Amino acid sequence: MKKSAILGIVVIAVAIAVIISTYSNTSTYGSFKDARQTTSELHVVGKLNKQKDLFYDPTKDANYFSFYMKDNKGAECKVIFTGTKPEDFERSEQIVLTGKMIGNEFHASHILMKCPSKYTQDKLETQEYKANKQASL
Amino acid sequence: MDIAFKGEHLLQGQIGQFFIILSFGSALLSFLSYYFSTTDDAGKADSSWQNIGRWAFYANVLSIIGIGVCLFNIIYNHYFEYHYVWAYTSRSLPTRYIISAFWNGQEGGFLLWLFWEALLGLFLIFKAGTWERPVMTVVALSQVVLASMVLGVEIFGMKLGSSPFLLLRDSMEGPIFSRPDYLSFIKDGQGMVPSLQNYWMIIHPPTLFLGFASIVVPFAYSVAGLWQKRYQEWIAPAIPYALFGCMILGTGVVMGSFWAYESLNFGGFWAWDPVENASIFPWLTLVGAVHVLVVYKNTGHSYFTATMLTMISFVLVWYSSFLNRSGILGETSVHSFTDLGMFWQLVTGVVIFLAIMVYLLVKHFKTMPITKKDEETYSREFWMFVGSVFLGLSCFHLIVVTSVPVWNAIFHLNIAPPADAARMKHYNVVQSSFVVLITILTAVAQFLKYKRTDVRRFAITTGVYLFFAAVVTALIAFATGVNKMHFVYILAMWGSVYSVTANGKMLADAFKGKIKLAGAAVAHIGFALMLVGALIAAGTSDVISINNTGEGFTADFAKENNPRENILVYRNQPLKMGDYMVTYLGDSISAPEHFYKVNYKKVDAAGKVAEDFTLWPKVQVNKGSLASSPDTKHYLFHDLYTHITMTNSISESEEPGAEKDGTQADEDDEKSYDAPIPHEVAIGDTINFREGFMVLKKLNKGVKVQNIPLKDNDISVGAQLEIVSHGKTYTAEPIYLIKDGGVYDFSKKVADAGLKLRFSKIIPEKNKVEITVLQQKESAKKYIVMRAITFPYINFFWGGSIIMVIGFILSIFRRKNEMKVVPVAVKQGATKGVGKRQPVSLK
Repeated sequence: MKKSAILGIVVIAVAIAVIISTYSNTSTYGSFKDARQTTSELHVVGKLNKQKDLFYDPTKDANYFSFYMKDNKGAECKVIFTGTKPEDFERSEQIVLTGKMIGNEFHASHILMKCPSKYTQDKLETQEYKANKQASL
Repeated sequence: MDIAFKGEHLLQGQIGQFFIILSFGSALLSFLSYYFSTTDDAGKADSSWQNIGRWAFYANVLSIIGIGVCLFNIIYNHYFEYHYVWAYTSRSLPTRYIISAFWNGQEGGFLLWLFWEALLGLFLIFKAGTWERPVMTVVALSQVVLASMVLGVEIFGMKLGSSPFLLLRDSMEGPIFSRPDYLSFIKDGQGMVPSLQNYWMIIHPPTLFLGFASIVVPFAYSVAGLWQKRYQEWIAPAIPYALFGCMILGTGVVMGSFWAYESLNFGGFWAWDPVENASIFPWLTLVGAVHVLVVYKNTGHSYFTATMLTMISFVLVWYSSFLNRSGILGETSVHSFTDLGMFWQLVTGVVIFLAIMVYLLVKHFKTMPITKKDEETYSREFWMFVGSVFLGLSCFHLIVVTSVPVWNAIFHLNIAPPADAARMKHYNVVQSSFVVLITILTAVAQFLKYKRTDVRRFAITTGVYLFFAAVVTALIAFATGVNKMHFVYILAMWGSVYSVTANGKMLADAFKGKIKLAGAAVAHIGFALMLVGALIAAGTSDVISINNTGEGFTADFAKENNPRENILVYRNQPLKMGDYMVTYLGDSISAPEHFYKVNYKKVDAAGKVAEDFTLWPKVQVNKGSLASSPDTKHYLFHDLYTHITMTNSISESEEPGAEKDGTQADEDDEKSYDAPIPHEVAIGDTINFREGFMVLKKLNKGVKVQNIPLKDNDISVGAQLEIVSHGKTYTAEPIYLIKDGGVYDFSKKVADAGLKLRFSKIIPEKNKVEITVLQQKESAKKYIVMRAITFPYINFFWGGSIIMVIGFILSIFRRKNEMKVVPVAVKQGATKGVGKRQPVSLK
């Protein structure tokens, strides 16, 4: 057999192995309901419930941050993150959590958030609308 | 209805927009003219098409400079009627960042790319000789596609590109924009994202985009070679350009990782973020391409692979632009770029160049100079080829994982990329496996000769070096703790050490005479050292700010979860952290930056201070948001990185400089203190409090209270107190005053100790006085929450990358000199001496 043929087979084998290992290492997007039914980590996409309290008091515990998030199906769940409150968290428009359910709380190991300042530039700040109102009085 | 808006500066934008249209038009004209000069005027020495193509390209260069001047003008003058200026700058932005505001938005990135590609085109017009016509056809086409990305015009209801000269009132809705004087309400822009306000932002993007832009040159040569059926000749002139692309793109990527390490809070220099991955796709394939091009030049083998890797590199530049700019990575990347609604336009960009590649490769497949003869197993070219194939496979792996959102979009799947910890492990293990093979091959191939090698001698040398490398690896692994990691990392370390030693031998030989081999050896050593540094630093980096004292913390929790990585440090209250005592000493503000003074002390067994240094991590305040940057203590063999993750000593609405240390003139500040505790003491007595003690030294009669004149009947007494708190001594003198029958006391604050002291009573019958101590509440005390990590041997990573760049430079000079030999080959295969410039001019 020609060496190039052997090399070709090796290449194809490695490529297939890469795809399989990638696929087996990927996780899934899900809802809080899905998270209750599995013990493995998954991604939950949703929005911060700004009505409920965000709790972070570093003087008690510098690594405990909790908040309530609504997933895309509307289900709400308490989320606990072992770390500090991310900068600008309140302003987030969308949150992607990675983690799993422990009891009735979702323990997030990773938070990815989208802030309006970075994500959708096309919003004038409310301040500017206010200025407009005052001027027209 | 047209409204006459007041105060707008429309002229600059109109001129800028005109230059954008001109750059598109001139690129299109240049492309068509060069195309016809290659086809219709083929063989003609004097081609009027070629002249038009050149002049159109000069016009393209000038119009791009014109765009830059106009953009600078509107940014520098704060014309917030332009969306780009409003969205990315503000009046308070320091002048040095006006430059980085240029490429803050996506449009600016495209402009930068256009600019570099235009300069490279100019260079090619003067240097490419007989290759000018076909090569410039491709470069001009690339300019056309790029310029279309910033056009910002609507054609048949479809928005084509996004212009940096778009007006704010055209880009968004709002009742405010129906007022003629709307501009008087827009006083300031959005400002720049704090993490971009960094000197790396000034240098990193231009380097990266020069790297991206330079890959068009080898691509253009390979297209020209196939198109003109000058299959063999394009390779020699393309190699130096491909090396240049590898060098610049590699530098740009490493700069990005240095930026991430030095100034961003990524907690490291590499995070396998999709955007980072996308930037190295073309680098990996281009490095592979360079090797296979050299193989082909030396032996005539692997023509197809060489051409394909060269071409795919440029297609991957476009693919990574698509990933980064289309918004498709939305849910997987921290680099959340704006989607400018150009999804399909970006797809078209990728497809155009992919189609050119596939069409040419298929059409010319049968006529390509592909050898039927099998390669020698013990030849350098065979193993260089194998190494390049594995570089390609490592790139393939990165593409497969990074493109998960793309697979979801195409196949309507709902898979997520590997979750956090699994993600790092997945990338690290798979890529380390490739590293093992690739590094070993960079060494093995160096021991082999082109075409044929003496097998016995080769086996002995290789074996000796492999064994030597294994011994060194074992020493390093045990010394650094790499031995506790996944075995793949140890193998990768072995491969890297082997590569350093083997290439080191080559370098030593090069100094003895075969000097032209130095470039490759130096580049390989640099690459391998980089990997050694990356493996140790990333593998054994250690969070030293471990905190297991938190709420709800149990041993079970610690087992299941990551140890908690943030610690709370109160001001002036030293805390033991790892081997260090850390103290948060204070702040200093230099708007918009707020620095934190964090002192580290290391005490040795004898109680002596072995080390004492201060780091200044900072937090930037920008439009109500905080962003922190770490500070790092650099040692020769490791780095100590400190990063503020939270603090209460800065408020989000705080105006810079509004707060001076501990001198709030707040009368009603008792709320921030615990309940007052009165102590009856005589001179010499000690009062204990939570964080120290104080001694009443003496009572000073008749002390002056500022601005209050004392009469004869008035009595004023000061209590001189010496306070010791956390090893520091302070003094304070609260005052007791009886004036006109009224009793007053003037409290004194000791901000650093968190105390407020009152001289509240004199008790003559006991010969004592009453001192009331108010201690700051725990929650009101100034604190920082910080994270500290050590990165061992990180300097190998930086040092290695610099050595690699030097290797590339040496190789470029070598390959450039080789081109001087090329004209002989050109004359044999040239299609009837195209163009008036003969290759001789290369000298």
